[in-house]
Amino acid sequence: MAVTKLFGASVKRREDPRLITGRGNFTDHIRLPGTLFMALKRSPHAHARIVRVDVSKARAMPGVVAVYTGQDLVDKLAPVPCAWLIPNSDLKVPSYRALAVDKVRYVGDAVAAVVAENRYVAEDALEAIDVEYEVLPAIVDQEQATQDGAPQLYDDVPNNIAFHWKLHAGDFDSAWNQAEVKLSRRLINHRLIPTAMEPRGALAHYNPGTGDLTIWCTSQNPHVHRLLLSAVTGIPETRIRVIATDVGGGFGSKIPMYSGEMLASAISRDLGRPIKWFESRRENYVATTHGRDHIQYVDLAATREGKVTGIRVKSYANLGAYLSTASPGVPTWLFGLMLCGAYAIPAVHVDVFGVVTNTTPTDAYRGAGRPEATYLLERMMDLLARELGMDPADIRRKNFVPKEQFPYTTATGLQYDSGNYEATLDRALELVNYQQLRREQEELRAQGRYLGIGFSTYVEVCGLAPSAAAGAMGFQGGLWESATVRVHPSGKVSVFTGSNPHGQGEETTFAQIVADELGISIDDVEIVHGDTEMIPFGMGTYGSRSLAVGGTAVIMATRKVKEKATKIAAHLLEVAPEDVTFENGRFFVKGAPDRAKTFQEVAGAAYLAWSMPEGVTPGLEETHFHDPINNTFPFGCHICVAEVDADTGKVSFRKYVAVDDVGNVVNPMIVDGQVHGGIAQGLAQAVYEYAAYDENGQLLTATLMDYAVPKASMLPRFDVDRTVTPTPVNPMGAKGAGETGTIASTPAVANAIIDALSPFGIDHLDIPLTPERIWRAVQERRG
Amino acid sequence: MKISGSYTIRAPRQAVWDRLIDPQAIAGCLPGVEKLNQVGQDEYEMSMTVGIGPVRGTYEGKVRLANMNPPDEYQMQVEGSGRPGFVRGTGTVRLADGPNSTTQITYEGDVEVGGPVAGVAQRMLGGVAKRLVEQFFSCIEKQITSS
Amino acid sequence: MQITVKVNGVAHTHDVEPRMLLVHFLRDVLNLTGTHIGCDTSQCGACTVLMNGKAVKSCTVFAVQADGAEITTIEGLARDGQLHPVQEGFWEMHGLQCGYCTPGMIMTAVDLLQRIPNPTEEQIRHYLEGNLCRCTGYQNIVRAVQYAAEKMRA
Repeated sequence: MAVTKLFGASVKRREDPRLITGRGNFTDHIRLPGTLFMALKRSPHAHARIVRVDVSKARAMPGVVAVYTGQDLVDKLAPVPCAWLIPNSDLKVPSYRALAVDKVRYVGDAVAAVVAENRYVAEDALEAIDVEYEVLPAIVDQEQATQDGAPQLYDDVPNNIAFHWKLHAGDFDSAWNQAEVKLSRRLINHRLIPTAMEPRGALAHYNPGTGDLTIWCTSQNPHVHRLLLSAVTGIPETRIRVIATDVGGGFGSKIPMYSGEMLASAISRDLGRPIKWFESRRENYVATTHGRDHIQYVDLAATREGKVTGIRVKSYANLGAYLSTASPGVPTWLFGLMLCGAYAIPAVHVDVFGVVTNTTPTDAYRGAGRPEATYLLERMMDLLARELGMDPADIRRKNFVPKEQFPYTTATGLQYDSGNYEATLDRALELVNYQQLRREQEELRAQGRYLGIGFSTYVEVCGLAPSAAAGAMGFQGGLWESATVRVHPSGKVSVFTGSNPHGQGEETTFAQIVADELGISIDDVEIVHGDTEMIPFGMGTYGSRSLAVGGTAVIMATRKVKEKATKIAAHLLEVAPEDVTFENGRFFVKGAPDRAKTFQEVAGAAYLAWSMPEGVTPGLEETHFHDPINNTFPFGCHICVAEVDADTGKVSFRKYVAVDDVGNVVNPMIVDGQVHGGIAQGLAQAVYEYAAYDENGQLLTATLMDYAVPKASMLPRFDVDRTVTPTPVNPMGAKGAGETGTIASTPAVANAIIDALSPFGIDHLDIPLTPERIWRAVQERRG
Repeated sequence: MKISGSYTIRAPRQAVWDRLIDPQAIAGCLPGVEKLNQVGQDEYEMSMTVGIGPVRGTYEGKVRLANMNPPDEYQMQVEGSGRPGFVRGTGTVRLADGPNSTTQITYEGDVEVGGPVAGVAQRMLGGVAKRLVEQFFSCIEKQITSS
Repeated sequence: MQITVKVNGVAHTHDVEPRMLLVHFLRDVLNLTGTHIGCDTSQCGACTVLMNGKAVKSCTVFAVQADGAEITTIEGLARDGQLHPVQEGFWEMHGLQCGYCTPGMIMTAVDLLQRIPNPTEEQIRHYLEGNLCRCTGYQNIVRAVQYAAEKMRA
């Protein structure tokens, strides 16, 4: 690994100048002449038969150009695709129409599309559409939905069970039978709404003359969207260009294919005019995917010394009304495989029931499956510690995979690349001054004040890969990434990456890597992303994979460039390539550093091509598709210190320490930012955020007035530190940092609050731990 | 959302019954009713403007009276929708003789509020539903006593 | 209705519908797309601009209410190629990730520093309550504002 000037430096972000001056390229900023605006009529009912859709009044309104119903598009648009077809699980994928045809199945299911000269008219016309519904009984709770007699969403999905996924590794039954300690719990990991600050939208422009569709959209993975758009519209991939330059946050919610982008494309083709659609926040809340929503039954077997010998989980995952693009994989593979966490647990049995209900579809949300596994494990570790009277730090230490055992293969079959779990725990304990904190806790309790200390010693899988594993898991795509490094005749470099950042700062970090590799100024390196016309192919940005997978592709392509440039330099210097050294942007003859060509000179020569070595073609550009040999496994220890006011249930945060190990770090400032934001989202799940439905399937938290996205005053300051255990999986030794904070923080916060409440005999409460929930629990115990 | 309660009107049962199934009397006592037309046997179309919390809007809807068992009991089905969302509800109203020629009314019902208004309305209505119903019956009572 | 609004120092006269929101006037009529829209209930603050020097959420103001007013948007904050200290602070301190809330956040911070030149961390967090950020956890936004405060006092 070439650790040179920029690797490891907090280089200021190159994307910022446009974003702090209001010159970003977000989708809704793009204007095309003749654009029509599309608005969608969405169902107010969670479950109903569509008796009649009368669009005549809307069609007659001035300014309205067209109105489409589901029936109008049946032959023009295939159903919304599901692309994670998990095997051996009796998976059923019901048809999901962009505009519902016979039935609506959640509040927000689209039934008609209006296209008008401007957004105001389009919204007005929605009012004039008359839909007659025959309202049917709705089902919201996924466990109840599997009971006999529950309302059925589909004729061919009995008991609403879309799949039953199993992973039985090791002999749990004998572990359970021989267990000295048995713990059984029902845990709820509730539903969340991703809430990227930029809602979703698209501007689709079909040119009937060329047959080209250009679509600007809010996408984490433009090539995947191109492929899926091609599949649903029938327009060849070669004729579709997807552009997503600046994307205002995603957190998983901008991975799936949605009806809005599909409709804008199909209608643009139908009318031959550009179509813009941009959802409102309320629309975003009911019709963009939600996350989490598991009901988990957990059995934990352990010895009296506190060694966990087995874990069994039966989980009911709420999929919502339809199966979104990656939805079957999230609560299964991404959850079940991680149920060993940082611990050497020999037996893991997981059964996951994917259940359809009359709610908004769920899919990946920051962490996607791994937060649900980590919360479960970390909560159970605390319960075990409580049961045995052990310190929660000690119980974790006792069960850690020891650092000598890496690479370590878990019972579930993952190979953890590298790790030193105790080091992060030790560092975090030191940072909070643990022993003194426990003493203080005792003193405060004597005064009727309730301080709690919560741990989360997590490990996560990221840099999702390799492609062969994706195939085995039924994921309908590869998990590699591509990069093209184009050296221009002047020696300036354009890098085309298939990763597609939406806040992660790859325009900066990838440029740092390339500048280092080529020994040139970072100002001579441009990173290009988010345009399918310019980039070979890309899997996109999610799963903390951009640096580990996309960054590696960039390095490998850059190294190919260096290899070719070395040959050209050797030719120019009239020596053999083996006799040329490349350092700090200069090629020179070994032992004669004055005989040299600069990188720029070699680039120029490659394009002039007046004199090329035998067998070397002109130009200097290389592409690399990188398929990693393994995932990476970042880990760490988060400790939350919180005080609970037992009379009001109010929680105040005293301290939050995060010690993460994400391997080598390219840009510490950016990684810190990722960790802060991640913690904020995970902490919010523990105490604030909750997507609430009533029993009829009405989303009660459908605006930012009701859904508690944390404000600045609701969050503490986070103390962030790191240990460094490089991964052998890629040449940078970097693991991934996008999701660690979210995965780690929910259990750390919940454990702190429950620790604070332990004098009341409380050992578990379901999150979110709102003041009301805490207050009720305390009142109940106080009698 | 379930609502239930009782109310005593100082008037005899038959007089109360007559008012409670009289569309004009009902319209006069519901807040914001702008029109009420009979469209069938015991079936009415109405339009009303209601503000629930910060969300104010006009709802077009239907009211149907069913299972009429004079002067003891009837069911009312209400359905309305408008820009802020929709309301659907069914309820049963029972009348019984009270002391001193009063009438004891007991009611129970199930209301569904949907659309943009749902989040706000359900929290607001939970608290004020009882008061709204009492206002309605007290208005009916005034109509009877003043006539 | 005809209105005249001075935006970033330039007067604009247009006919607008009375129901048109100021944010749509800025974005759709004047093509100043730096002012973002993140919600429809005035919670998120992405659309914050300065109206006669004070921060307002331009989704809660009708364009006609801005008739005769002076508006500063994010595009008008830098002067003569010099970033405003708050913009500089956001860049220096990594106060943004996706950048969508950033224009509104910056405008609110400008308003804050006009009123309280030397705010405490608590005051900053309190003042920014009307602006939501989903990426940063606010920590570096607080540092960005502190950076700007220091710079503006110097």
